[in-house]
Amino acid sequence: MKSRATASALCSATPRQSLKSGHATRPFVSICPPTRRISVEDVNDFRRGRGDLIFSLFMMGLALFFAVFFFTQTGWDDRKLPDNMAGYWMDQVGLTVPEGRLARLGRILKQGWVAPLLCLCILVPAAMWNLRGAFRAYSWRKRFRQPTDVGHEMMQWLRALEYVGWFVVYTALVPVLGYLVATLLLGTALPWRLGYRGARWFGICLSVSFAIVLVFRSGLQIRTPVNIWLYDQLPQGMETFMQVWF
Amino acid sequence: MEALWSGLDNLASLSVLAAILIGSVGGLAIGAVPGIGPAIAIAILLPATVFLDDLVSLVLLLGVYGSSMYGGAIPAILINTPGTPVNALTTYDGYAMTRRGEAARALSLAYAASFFGGCFSIILGLSALMLFGPYLRDLGALFGQRDIFMAAALGAVLLVAAHRKTMGIAALLFGLGFLISLVGRQTTRQIDRYTFDVDYLFPGFNLIVVIVGIFAISQALFLLTGKDADPPEARLNGGLLRGFGELWRFKPVALISAGYGTIMGIIPGVGEFVAQFFSYSTARAISKDPGKFGRGAPDGLIASEASNNAVPAAAMVPLLALGVPGEALTAMMMVVFFDAGIKPGPDIFENNPDFLFSLFFALLIINALVVITLLVSTRHIARIIYIPNRLLGAFILILSFVGVFSIRNSFTDCMFAAGFGFLGFVLRRIDWPLVPIVLGLVLGSIMIEKLTAGSGQIKTVVHLVNRPVSGTLFGVILIVIGVTIFTRLRTRRFEH
Repeated sequence: MKSRATASALCSATPRQSLKSGHATRPFVSICPPTRRISVEDVNDFRRGRGDLIFSLFMMGLALFFAVFFFTQTGWDDRKLPDNMAGYWMDQVGLTVPEGRLARLGRILKQGWVAPLLCLCILVPAAMWNLRGAFRAYSWRKRFRQPTDVGHEMMQWLRALEYVGWFVVYTALVPVLGYLVATLLLGTALPWRLGYRGARWFGICLSVSFAIVLVFRSGLQIRTPVNIWLYDQLPQGMETFMQVWF
Repeated sequence: MEALWSGLDNLASLSVLAAILIGSVGGLAIGAVPGIGPAIAIAILLPATVFLDDLVSLVLLLGVYGSSMYGGAIPAILINTPGTPVNALTTYDGYAMTRRGEAARALSLAYAASFFGGCFSIILGLSALMLFGPYLRDLGALFGQRDIFMAAALGAVLLVAAHRKTMGIAALLFGLGFLISLVGRQTTRQIDRYTFDVDYLFPGFNLIVVIVGIFAISQALFLLTGKDADPPEARLNGGLLRGFGELWRFKPVALISAGYGTIMGIIPGVGEFVAQFFSYSTARAISKDPGKFGRGAPDGLIASEASNNAVPAAAMVPLLALGVPGEALTAMMMVVFFDAGIKPGPDIFENNPDFLFSLFFALLIINALVVITLLVSTRHIARIIYIPNRLLGAFILILSFVGVFSIRNSFTDCMFAAGFGFLGFVLRRIDWPLVPIVLGLVLGSIMIEKLTAGSGQIKTVVHLVNRPVSGTLFGVILIVIGVTIFTRLRTRRFEH
């Protein structure tokens, strides 16, 4: 039912007649009503949504995770630093006069741990700054009795994981069935799952999937997995043909 | 002059011309579909460019980049839905004109303004190349490792400052992108950074894998979990040529907007949105009837379209001159330069001046080709608006696989791309910007590479800023930070 509804919606929405004849069948529905005075600042507008706090907490956790592992995962153990670091930096910025030769700053800067340190100097304070903003937005929502429930947002994130699963399965199927068959399979099964059902949609999806394979694999000869299980079952000539073109 | 003819000669090949045609027409179609921006198309096309000639690859991507904003104006004007994010401002006046029954006039003005903005910045770029070409060749000597480091740092600071209301988020995501670029084994020193002894992490994250995941797969997931839009039917009657004549009436607005687009495009990290902001505000300020802005003012539409189309050519300047990309799309193009063995940066004026001319002439051809295509076939292109979103999502997912797998023949990369896709999806859901991650990856790598390469000359902190260019750039960084803090404090005072 859903598929037919969507297909008919597409047919009716296609403005073949209206574009040519210059007559719209129904009036426009504006997202922004003309009565409202629009400000150019709207383009840069940003409002923290309901999942913002959760994700900000996650990012804070991630930043702290990388900060904690800085000492074991960045070559910090092999560091070569002057003995008296406080004195060294005083000499560097000219507050004190160095005794003897001052160790070159470049020798420190080229060490492997400097880049992660520089990165953490951006990441951790920024995560804290952002978390503060997220908490303020959350408190504002609570204070003015705005919805704060994150259940719906989390459900949307979980829904996306289903399609990540489709992608992973497709990736796993390519070495078994080959790029052509796997693409035709996903290109028709996923739209079917989405509600684009019936012979018309099947034909459209099959054609588009085949066109993708023709353009990218046969035309541009982009690398896809070799050693396909299905192709190995084919006669020698056909196997070579399929491996070269599909 | 020799480089100019050589640059033109480079374009006179069938494969380059075909790439220009496919890129510009494809970019138009991609721009016209709400939900697919040029970033997704470029992300998917990037791996394919590995197999193509360097100039062919670049003009293909430039075609998509340069033409998508033209296409994006169509749904913005006809159905109040911007085709690409930068067309959001076009809806304000463009759709209001459509409601008044002036859709064809609005489209025509948008095409004319876009064409003017595009040509303005390209011709300015070409003139600069011709006039200052001999001097630009000496630019390489002026820019050392520390100067490029400072230019990349300035790009990072501007990127954060440009995200007016999301500076904390932009800094955080820039840091995350920077960190992603560090993961893996540093081969010269045999140091493993954040690999946790996991074999899959030793090669690090490929830039294209992250880009495809963050831009393409995340958008596919976003479309797949959303609903099919049911856009209203569009009415289009009248000729599309008259806007070119009408543009003359609004020449101050067109000139100012194209100027803003060019300047903002050159500044790394700023881009189309800020250019539009300034153009629209200025157009409203100089208008005799500012009250009609947002209610179908042709000058508002011109300000939006002329400024955003002036950016692509201008955005190539920091990439080509300094090797520092200013925004996500030029960051993606940098990958093509790396593959081609052409090092963008000051030396390009000495080593490959003809290549620069080729790129700017290609952009000029793209603009002309796009306008001709639009004048002939807007009615057909407008139908693309009605392709169901979720179906598009399914096919973006399919296209993403081939994009990721072909880089290193690696299924691990596909899994990483899926992970980055999910991350990008969550960011899209909560309305966080994606661009800082990619720029963090690219600019972070540049900063570290240049800092390490220039470490031999850095004896004290002063040696980081004691060169004329690095010192000036450091001064600009301090000014930008100072102005940003001042503006924020002042805004907060007004808010409270």
